[in-house]
Amino acid sequence: MDKAWHRRTTAALACILAAAGGAGWLAHTRLQQLQADFETDARIVHRLLSQRVVQHDAILSTLALLQPPAPREGEADAALPRLPAVYPQILDVLRRPAGGAWPAATPALAAAEAASRASGHAALAQPDLAAGRYHLVLASTPASYALHIDLHASVPREEWPMDRATSPVRVTLEHAGQTFTIQSGHIPAHGWTYGFRKTLAAPSQPLDVVALRTVGWSELPWLAMLAWCAFTAAATVAAQALWRQRVARRRAEELLRLGQVARLNTLGELAAGMAHELNQPLTALLSGTQAAQRLLGDDPPDLETARTAMARAVEQARRASDVVGRLRRLVERPDLAGQAQPLPLATAVHDALHLLEPECRAHAVLPEVTVEPGLPAVQAEPVALQQIVHNLVMNALQALEQVPAAERRLELQLTAPTPGQVQLTVRDHGPGIAPEARTRLFEPFYTTRAGGLGLGLPLCESLAQAMGASLQLAPGNGRGAAFVLRLPAATPAP
Amino acid sequence: MNDSAPSLSPLIHLVDDDAAVREGLSLLIATVGLRVQAWADPQAFLAGFDRASIGAIVLDVRMPGTSGLAVLEQLQARGADQPVILLTGHGTVDMCRRAFKAGAAEFLEKPVHDEVLIEALQNAVRQHVRSRERHQADQQARERHAQLSAREREVLGLIVEGLTNKEIGRALALSPRTVETHRANLFAKLGVDSLAQLIRRYAALVE
Repeated sequence: MDKAWHRRTTAALACILAAAGGAGWLAHTRLQQLQADFETDARIVHRLLSQRVVQHDAILSTLALLQPPAPREGEADAALPRLPAVYPQILDVLRRPAGGAWPAATPALAAAEAASRASGHAALAQPDLAAGRYHLVLASTPASYALHIDLHASVPREEWPMDRATSPVRVTLEHAGQTFTIQSGHIPAHGWTYGFRKTLAAPSQPLDVVALRTVGWSELPWLAMLAWCAFTAAATVAAQALWRQRVARRRAEELLRLGQVARLNTLGELAAGMAHELNQPLTALLSGTQAAQRLLGDDPPDLETARTAMARAVEQARRASDVVGRLRRLVERPDLAGQAQPLPLATAVHDALHLLEPECRAHAVLPEVTVEPGLPAVQAEPVALQQIVHNLVMNALQALEQVPAAERRLELQLTAPTPGQVQLTVRDHGPGIAPEARTRLFEPFYTTRAGGLGLGLPLCESLAQAMGASLQLAPGNGRGAAFVLRLPAATPAP
Repeated sequence: MNDSAPSLSPLIHLVDDDAAVREGLSLLIATVGLRVQAWADPQAFLAGFDRASIGAIVLDVRMPGTSGLAVLEQLQARGADQPVILLTGHGTVDMCRRAFKAGAAEFLEKPVHDEVLIEALQNAVRQHVRSRERHQADQQARERHAQLSAREREVLGLIVEGLTNKEIGRALALSPRTVETHRANLFAKLGVDSLAQLIRRYAALVE
């Protein structure tokens, strides 16, 4: 009871562990995959944006080198106005002529120019990331140039690795507390968050690319996890059932064996009791008669004592015969003929073989049953009939032990040789029965097997006779033995 | 030597719960001139049998109450020296082993043949008589040996070792004449006439 409980608890725990472990592993794998995807996307985004802003530097350097003049009215092919047409992110190109001032006259541009002059590369001026605008100033001589840049147009839409409308990743550019949102993404309140922050690869435009991805609970592979749990549970249940089945089978085998042992013990006890009951009068009888013999041999013979001894011996002989009579009455079977009933022989044979299936398997024997069509039912007592078939098949199996497995054959033939009779022939292809044994087979306690009791065939024969049937050994010599059980056919009900 | 020797013929104790068996076996045993005392109850037998008697005991193994094997074990525990013959209706190897381990002289199967039983009984009786005689002789020898003085015992030990009177005198710092006197005294006390008798009966008692 306790053990079963323990076993069930262990199985349940193992099942839960396996289910949780497997599901956890699935979730972990999914999260790792999502993180790797996110990081790849973030790196691509960083590279793309860096390429764009580096382009701004290149444009400014070109302007500084070529020193195009500020456009005048009517000069359509001036270089400066053409730039916004080629680069959509450039809203405007500003120029501060040598000694002059910036057209927009913003102090920020002048400060940036000073910074640019100090650093040797372009500098940011008036960044307004919320609006997505900034100026980029490069100090040069004689004239300095500035680009007014629109970040919205800087994002390379064609090469963008994500769908900006649906992607769950938030991508922003940040600089000095200002934020420009490139893609807002979907950030759930709970989940696993992955971050990415890297400054653009252009010293002139030190904007941080910030990517954020939060994997929500809903993104876990719930279906696969659920399937795994269901699979584990099913496997546990199946294993439990298999185990129970095995235990049940083993118990049944054990019970069977126990029953056999108990029967043997009972038989041994009976034999011991019988030996004692008979040996006592036989001892008295033998010693009495032998004493009488000696008394009669004396000279002169003691006739009186010898007579008394002989009278007692007679009494003891009677006593022994009473013991035998009592034993007979004790083990006498009830009238089998009275309990006979019509039953199909094929079914009885089938039932007996079913019971003996493990033995047949152990002996590597497949019984071959042939049934003549239209066989009438037999008049027999079912248990006795089954016992006879059981014993005959067991004997055959034991005979077959003595030949190689490949040569083992066991045939059971059901025929109706004469009207009113049904015949079962059990034929084995074993070593056969020695001629001297053939005549003694049905004698009680005659056995050819070491450890055999020699009661099987006599019992079968007396059971058969009690039912009005007969059991015989079919004539024949050499290989194999065939026992023939002839049963009376049941008279059809009137 | 004749102080406790039995004057009567040997006595066979027969213990079997079956009256017919008792009668038959008693009659059979009596035909060869042995006396038989039959007991139906093992406990009554254990309580009442004559321990001093010369003879043997025949026990049935299967008896209600106390089995023959149990009776045998109790006899051994009480130091009874009569040989025991066990009779059984169906002897198993295990039972046989137990019987001999417990000191049974014989183990016979019922029904027993007259010759087998009688031969076993006669053997047992002979064996018992011999063992009693030996026991008595030992007893007597011990008693006589105990009467020797310390000096006589020393002399006896040296005689048994094979020394001559002269050598014994040297070993014990006695004159050969004194040794001769001791020697004569101990021969008389031990009741032996020759050196051979002395060695045979008393060599075992010399430490």
